[in-house]
Amino acid sequence: MFLMRFTERAYVNYTEEDVRNSPNEAVRLTFSNSNFNPEEGHYLYNMYLDEYEYSEEVGFDGLMLNEHHNTPTCLGATMNLEAAILARNTKKPKIVLLGNPLPIFDNPIRLAEELAEIDMISGGRLVSGFVRGTGVESLATNTNPLHNRARFEEAHDLVIKTWTTPGPFRWEGDHYHFRVVNPFQTPLQKPHPPVWIPGTGSPETLVWCAERNYPYIFLETDPQGTQDMKSIYTEAAREHGYEPGPENFGYLVRIHVQDTDEKAYDVGKGYMVGNIGVGRIPLPRDYASPVGYGSRSDDPRFLRLREQIRSDPFRVGGLDSAHYDEILDSKRWIIGSPETVVSQLREVLSYMRPGILAVWTNDGSISHEDTMRCLELMGQEVLPALREIGEELELTDPFQKEGVMPGLTAV
Amino acid sequence: MLNFTEETISVAGGNLQVYKGGSGDPLLVLHGAGGNAGPRRYAQALAEQFTVYLPSHPGYGKSDRPGWVESMQDLACFYTWFQEQEGLENVRAIGFSMGGWLAAEMLSMTGHAFSKVMLVGAAGIKPNDGEITDIFIISPAQVRDLVYHDPSQVPEWDELLGTDPTPEQVQQAEGDREMAIRLTWRPYMHNPRLPAKLGRVSVPTHILWGENDNLVPVECAGLYQQAIAGSQVTVIPNCGHSPQIEKPDDFVQAALAFL
Repeated sequence: MFLMRFTERAYVNYTEEDVRNSPNEAVRLTFSNSNFNPEEGHYLYNMYLDEYEYSEEVGFDGLMLNEHHNTPTCLGATMNLEAAILARNTKKPKIVLLGNPLPIFDNPIRLAEELAEIDMISGGRLVSGFVRGTGVESLATNTNPLHNRARFEEAHDLVIKTWTTPGPFRWEGDHYHFRVVNPFQTPLQKPHPPVWIPGTGSPETLVWCAERNYPYIFLETDPQGTQDMKSIYTEAAREHGYEPGPENFGYLVRIHVQDTDEKAYDVGKGYMVGNIGVGRIPLPRDYASPVGYGSRSDDPRFLRLREQIRSDPFRVGGLDSAHYDEILDSKRWIIGSPETVVSQLREVLSYMRPGILAVWTNDGSISHEDTMRCLELMGQEVLPALREIGEELELTDPFQKEGVMPGLTAV
Repeated sequence: MLNFTEETISVAGGNLQVYKGGSGDPLLVLHGAGGNAGPRRYAQALAEQFTVYLPSHPGYGKSDRPGWVESMQDLACFYTWFQEQEGLENVRAIGFSMGGWLAAEMLSMTGHAFSKVMLVGAAGIKPNDGEITDIFIISPAQVRDLVYHDPSQVPEWDELLGTDPTPEQVQQAEGDREMAIRLTWRPYMHNPRLPAKLGRVSVPTHILWGENDNLVPVECAGLYQQAIAGSQVTVIPNCGHSPQIEKPDDFVQAALAFL
């Protein structure tokens, strides 16, 4: 099992009132950057990088980063910069980017160059994930949400071709046009850095990943619904002639440990103001998912698949609007002493069977001190226990898989 | 529906939904980004003098959505095609909001689209001082609140907006909004090259605006007037973005006087 550490790198120095007073009472997109203090930013960026570097020390296999725009909930606005720093300052862990939001790039060639540099600097440790981005990413970059999926797919094809086909070549697509594609720098990993795709389970994306043997990382999805989504992937994979295993799936969970259950319970409340922001005010629908962003496919296959996915009790408003105890009772967040966390995770892992576990160790208002203690305990007690459980449950990860490693498109 | 029928006309390989009513010379009415509200009171009044054609733009209402209609210029191409096919060139026309922009694009492409044209609260030209309200980052309810200056003076309020929309209406509105996003996303609701291209226009043009337009600033009336030689401007006081709905009597009076 591949164990990677994640945090969204929140900025929380603002109040619920600040959000209430902002346009559409939204913490993303239009929440004024006059609420941002770069002095605090200086401290936070360095603190978060320190925590990632310490994550290598305690034994994580991967350092996972993400990216969002126009929001205090995630300081990673240009994730590749943080990735480049970690590529230089760490030695062993994979740098796992989940992921670069392809549709918002008008120049995917530049992205291919940046990722190639990161791969070389890190000595071939890059895992290059791609996402569609939320509606906020489209709006913040003025990318037409109607073309989101088409741009995602075309930019992906262009990046992969840029990495794997000797230039110069020309690209005249529907959304991208380049007369000379020939960046001199190419990735160290051949044929290209592995590609993993995170998401919350749109059937189109699941099928698209299965067709390419790309691992799919479920982002805090409902366990029951996840089984349905895995079967969609599995069915598509079989049609493409292979049997997917744990190495094709990942799962992201908020997991926080402290010395005692009581301490962890108190500290874990800090998550409540992370992803959704201080005040926990749900985003306007037209920000999160503008008309046209979601699928309007009338393909009966996708309608059937969508129908098939059981509804998640936390789906409306998400985990972020639910009560803390409710979330903990449902084991959607795993918070406690090392013993508690390991025992709960054994249950989750037995059911979900991911080869990749993304451990969202801290967020929101959880302090640096508490985070460092959490990471320390992870290294001393949780990660070794998880490795044993992973072996016992045969949760093979992509790097352990014999034969073709998942994540490399058929090139 | 008094005097009006609903027809389906095949144009450019797709079906176009058209409300048609009245008698007399043809009058082409082009609806705005929010969609085709059908033959409202103003259209009924105009139908007493003209044969009113009120199509739902491609992608709106029951009209098909050809994949190639991606921009306002494509839409203008579609409508000149429609005009040619249906013998509706050189007719009178009214364009509301985004439909006004559409009419302006058509004017910039051909000298024989219209014999006379009214542009009402028209999008299409970037204001110098204000901004065209971004309707894509606010909810449909917020848009509605901005459209009308004084809802109490909207005579058809109960029929148009008095009840909660049915699920079918919500779905239709989303489809319409999606088409508006496709057509007008970037640059938002305007074409930087349009004012220069309007220099060719020689047909009589009447520019009409609600004084209290919260969506397309009233200064755009002056910008259209500057771009189109010989055009005239009327500003209706105490009125929002849709004079034809908010003050239909004043609107119809102005329209008939010009047309």
